[in-house]
Amino acid sequence: MTAQVTWLALAAVTLAGAAGVVSTREIMRLVISLGTFLLGVAGFFAYYALPFLAVAEVFVYVGGVLVLFLFAIMAHKPDEEGRRLLGARFDVGVAVTCSGLFVLLLVTLRPLAGLLSLTPLVSSGPEAVAGVLLGPLLPLFELLGALLLAALVAGIAIAGKGDAE
Amino acid sequence: MSLLMLTSGLLCLGLYGVLTRRDLVAVLASVEVMLGAGTIQLAAFSTALNVTATSASAAATGQGYTLAILVLAAAEAAVGLALLVVLVRLGRTRTDQIEEVRG
Repeated sequence: MTAQVTWLALAAVTLAGAAGVVSTREIMRLVISLGTFLLGVAGFFAYYALPFLAVAEVFVYVGGVLVLFLFAIMAHKPDEEGRRLLGARFDVGVAVTCSGLFVLLLVTLRPLAGLLSLTPLVSSGPEAVAGVLLGPLLPLFELLGALLLAALVAGIAIAGKGDAE
Repeated sequence: MSLLMLTSGLLCLGLYGVLTRRDLVAVLASVEVMLGAGTIQLAAFSTALNVTATSASAAATGQGYTLAILVLAAAEAAVGLALLVVLVRLGRTRTDQIEEVRG
């Protein structure tokens, strides 16, 4: 019973955050909604007994990417009332397309539903994750390291080129 | 089924945001929502498959791939926000104002 209430609470927080990201016009509300969504995702990781992923999500996203978003938003010029507003519109065609995709996903993934459970299960800890990353997934792990370095260099190069222009 | 509904709904919500929002910040945030939905799904299946996996290493493979998505999303956010900073300086943050890409 407690597990189901926790799951529903996490689902509500995550959905509310995602709805805020998609619909709000105030830029700070968008960041707060994104933070709420990401905390909900970290909560799901903790719920499914994956503490390593939960901590990584909080450190990388709530602590890192959100700060990057705040820095980018500081560059936005406020309007006359001192607010930083974003464009938002409702598109019926896109809404219908996304609803169709939702139904298609449900129909396609339905055979897998029996595998999943709402109740938390005992899972493997950080030692097992380290064993996988330094074992069978080592090439992927190395590739991701190179990708992060490339992204860092690209970010500096793009921002620096903008400075020059 | 509830988890599938939740993650599918989050993915479609994120896609709706990507297709309808016009500011680059909002588009990037919507992409993060889509990636978040995928990571929840992967993590949940990783836990579910752990019950039937023959070794701890096999069971943690899903977590390894979830970490890979986290890293990819962080790299995407870093490059996207660097582009955003440049576009803010040029006064063009709306997607319909970005018409050309130069090397």
